Amino acid sequence: MTAPVPASPDPVPPVPEFIVTLPTRGDGARGDFGPPPPAPPAFVTDLRPGAYGPFDHLAEIGRAAEIAGFDGALAPFDAGGEESVVVTAGLLRASRWLRGAAGLHPGVATPVYAAKVSASLQRFSGGRLDWRLSVDLDPSVARAQGDFVEGPDRYARADEFLTIAKGVWHEDSYTYEGRFFQVLAGGFQAPLSDRPFPRVHLSGTSPEALDLSARHADVHVFDFAAAQPGVSRQGDVLDALIADLRARAAGHGRALAFGLTLPVLAREDEEEARAEAARRTAAGAPPSGLTGSYDQVADAIRGFAARGVTTFVLEAAPYVEETYRLGEHLLPLLATGTAPAAASDTVKEHEHAD
Amino acid sequence: MPIDIYWRIGTHGDQPSLRRRVASRGDWAPGEPGAIAPRVRGGRDDGYTHLDHMADVARASELSGFVGGLLPSFPFTDDPWAAAASLARETTTYRFMIAYQPGFLHPVQAARMSASLQRATGGRVVYNVISGGGGPAQLWWGDKVDHDDRYARTSEFLDVLKGVWDGGPFDYEGRFYRVEGAGLPGPLAGQPFPEIYFSGSSPAAIRAAGRHADYYLSWLEPTAALSAKFAQVREHTEALGRSPRFAVRIDVLARETEEEAWDEIRRGWRHVDPAQLRGPEASGDSVGWLRSASFVEWPVTDLRALEVEPNFWGGFHLLRGGPAFGLVGSYAQVAARLDELIGLGVDAFILAGVPHLEEAHRVGERVLPLLRGHDLRDHGPRADGTGADQGRTPISATRGTP
Repeated sequence: MTAPVPASPDPVPPVPEFIVTLPTRGDGARGDFGPPPPAPPAFVTDLRPGAYGPFDHLAEIGRAAEIAGFDGALAPFDAGGEESVVVTAGLLRASRWLRGAAGLHPGVATPVYAAKVSASLQRFSGGRLDWRLSVDLDPSVARAQGDFVEGPDRYARADEFLTIAKGVWHEDSYTYEGRFFQVLAGGFQAPLSDRPFPRVHLSGTSPEALDLSARHADVHVFDFAAAQPGVSRQGDVLDALIADLRARAAGHGRALAFGLTLPVLAREDEEEARAEAARRTAAGAPPSGLTGSYDQVADAIRGFAARGVTTFVLEAAPYVEETYRLGEHLLPLLATGTAPAAASDTVKEHEHAD
Repeated sequence: MPIDIYWRIGTHGDQPSLRRRVASRGDWAPGEPGAIAPRVRGGRDDGYTHLDHMADVARASELSGFVGGLLPSFPFTDDPWAAAASLARETTTYRFMIAYQPGFLHPVQAARMSASLQRATGGRVVYNVISGGGGPAQLWWGDKVDHDDRYARTSEFLDVLKGVWDGGPFDYEGRFYRVEGAGLPGPLAGQPFPEIYFSGSSPAAIRAAGRHADYYLSWLEPTAALSAKFAQVREHTEALGRSPRFAVRIDVLARETEEEAWDEIRRGWRHVDPAQLRGPEASGDSVGWLRSASFVEWPVTDLRALEVEPNFWGGFHLLRGGPAFGLVGSYAQVAARLDELIGLGVDAFILAGVPHLEEAHRVGERVLPLLRGHDLRDHGPRADGTGADQGRTPISATRGTP
């Protein structure tokens, strides 16, 4: 987009913030990851062949999120999908307001290079880049990426990765000799160092994951499944995790924000939402997560907000339509300043199969 | 074989001219009067960034007849992957020649980034594979691998990248990389493989180029030196059953008349620090830079003393950052020198001029139409016994296996 991006001061994410998840493996029959959609019969003029490529669908969703008032979009790290830095760069260029969260894995680049690419994206976007770091990949996926580091070492490497990336960003003549990475008399100079370091999103519930977040995360994102009541008899898992992580971060003199990945299916009324959920289940689609009327879903989100969650990573397909729908019908109910209410127990919550 | 002519994009801002060495396009000279992208408006910066200026240069280049541009990568520059991915959708034909050092990305990640970028651009990605200048800059990047090993790593990197490109599963166990069951996701697999422009002047570089380069890329050097270098590359490459193509990176200062061109140089020369005319400073372990300096007799007393043969001028580095040699002369002279290089075996050019935006239009509109090209090249087999196209192995047949 040739229109200027917000220049300074850097945009501060609103609370709560809503992020749309980009389908980097295609959105059903849109894109070329699934079976192709039925073509119109030959006698119908079709001007599309040759004019459009696989990135046009992703760009369409990015524009929808920007127009519909979302605060950001996440391109997850997915070895089986479109590469997230390329996707995020295009998204940031085509928007003014959206933050772009690029999925990264500490094995795919040196921390200096990851930081260098990110410094340019921060400069180009007016500081709207976030990092969503994947640390523990499935072992066979990891080996196919050339990554043979296993167990707790993965968190030690992620710690080095983030330490060095932040070090070269913030310091002149930065030296670090680690087990996995090193840099000697490194460090960015102005203007490359002028923008803030990308906000770091991390996830996971293991002690290693929580410790890594305590030291490095700006936002720790939990799975919807972890937020379900009744998963553990020891009380509410989400509250316990948030309390645990707050305490660990305080031990490092830090505070961080909490996020939740939330599949949603919201409609005018609960009946309509449940009918759509049933239709999808019959068609073999995965469970729809938080399902209900706009008011019910908003109540549930307020409930999570009351427990300390400020970043909501929403998942809703088909992406263009649902992004508009949520922007027009759900986000206005949750506009900043709306007082959090108690969680509604009328909302139908399905466990989300990750 | 058509000649591909590229026009560089500065990833480190740009100067409004060669007259003053101040990069006030982009934000490398904040506060400089007239600085743009960003520009100060009403006391605040206007929100435009260096990327917006790069977009202008890219569009000027494609409109003026260039096939694309080289996006350089150094510690102080913006990053070429970031720029190419950002500008993918606002250019039409522009090929992004991305300069990168193989050691900094894992080859499987580089493959997926490249494939996604091919899908985003409709196949407009080109590689400028550089293996590093060494010295403190290499450690700045966090890279401790020494000079010759860097080329061995580059070789392995490209073996793995090509190995996963069509989908895999691909196994590899080398000194630097190991993968198990690697490959690109189905929809990303089988994109056109980016052409590889390979840089490096050392014997290790030339050996690695022989295996992997589509184009062996050199800075401009005096004709005899360039010719000798090409012969050396041909020898190594043909021993591997491949036929090399050559590319030269050339700064151009062309004007209606030769006098006008030299007058433009003279205006910049007034600001050159006399200390720089005493002799070259070594920089890292880059053989290329030491070669450039060796073609000139130091100390230098007059700007024309750097003209080592007609229109070949070795003082561009004194007027802007970058390599020393370029062409200075009238439109007709510069076109004639480019034709002679085509005659020498050059198949592609990466041209550049300061300021890149306006000079893209000037060179595209005034110099390129004067090229005669192939009718100057020797017909039939070359003196060294190779035909222009025969014996060239398509890249797909050279995909590496461990």
